Amino acid sequence: MKVTLRFFARFGELLGKSRVVDAPENTSLSDLIRDAASQNSEGYGSIFDEHGAFRDFVILMRNGKRVPAAAADRTLLSEGDEVAVFPPVAGG
Amino acid sequence: MLMLSQNERERYSRQIMLFGEEGQERLKNATIFIAGAGGLGSPISIYLAVAGVGRIILVDKDTVERTNLNRQILHYDRDIGRKKTASAQEKLREINPDVAVEVIDTTIDETNVRDLVGEADGIVDAMDNFPLRYLLNQVAFEKKIPLFHGAIRGFYGQATTILPGKTACLRCTFPNPPQKEVFPVVGVTPGFIGMVQATEVIKYLVGTGELLADRLLLWDGERSVVEEIALERNPSCEVCGGRTRHGGDAL
Repeated sequence: MKVTLRFFARFGELLGKSRVVDAPENTSLSDLIRDAASQNSEGYGSIFDEHGAFRDFVILMRNGKRVPAAAADRTLLSEGDEVAVFPPVAGG
Repeated sequence: MLMLSQNERERYSRQIMLFGEEGQERLKNATIFIAGAGGLGSPISIYLAVAGVGRIILVDKDTVERTNLNRQILHYDRDIGRKKTASAQEKLREINPDVAVEVIDTTIDETNVRDLVGEADGIVDAMDNFPLRYLLNQVAFEKKIPLFHGAIRGFYGQATTILPGKTACLRCTFPNPPQKEVFPVVGVTPGFIGMVQATEVIKYLVGTGELLADRLLLWDGERSVVEEIALERNPSCEVCGGRTRHGGDAL
């Protein structure tokens, strides 16, 4: 199945802003992001902590709806899904 | 209710074409609290002043440094070493003597924030850190006044308008703050996001248009793309969730 994965702001700088992934069936939201982020250690480290968990400020969206990081492992993707991952910015 | 003077009718004639003398009077009779006179607070306060927001309260604790000058356009080279509040007040008064600009040189904290905000009609978030933003969010919720949120980093920015009891609050949307850092920034980014916030303030006060309610605007200045993400209230939000369950004015 094909899903679109988009990284915003700093994540996009490190990992590329948008890609279409041909993912196997039963791929979870976590799997998708982890696989993509693994291509760049700094990008991976910006999203995941040393235990491999999502950093607590990371925001995950699936088809425009927020998915809590705690639910990302059991959120299975479907053909055509659009996933967005972004960090809030804090400067002013 | 203060009426417009002849000078004001003339000064604001081009925007009175947009929202009428009634709209302009609403701006004149409004008080807006701006937290921060830095990268966001500079363009926001300038544009709210020229638009004729009658009373602007601007709070900042810092002194102007040379490293501020690439983005904090209220402050000039000659202001290095001065308090930002003094520098801001001088400029805003020159820009528009018809509006009242009150500046407060203090650190916003839990003990003083409610008094500082006072009877303001809205709070503009022009801070550079999330702990203080959460405090502004809490006070906006308590006073039932809107919080106009904006934040930036590098070429990226975000903005949303929080209407307590109606929209997701800042905690619903950002339960955890990003890591602290000295953030990179080029002045056009807070300029852009500050204009989004100031536009929201003006629309809210005049009562026109459609606000960024439950919508997070994301600006990618590297690609020049604006996107938006739908926001939802978190029923278990520590700020706005509990009270809603107990018969608040939500949904």
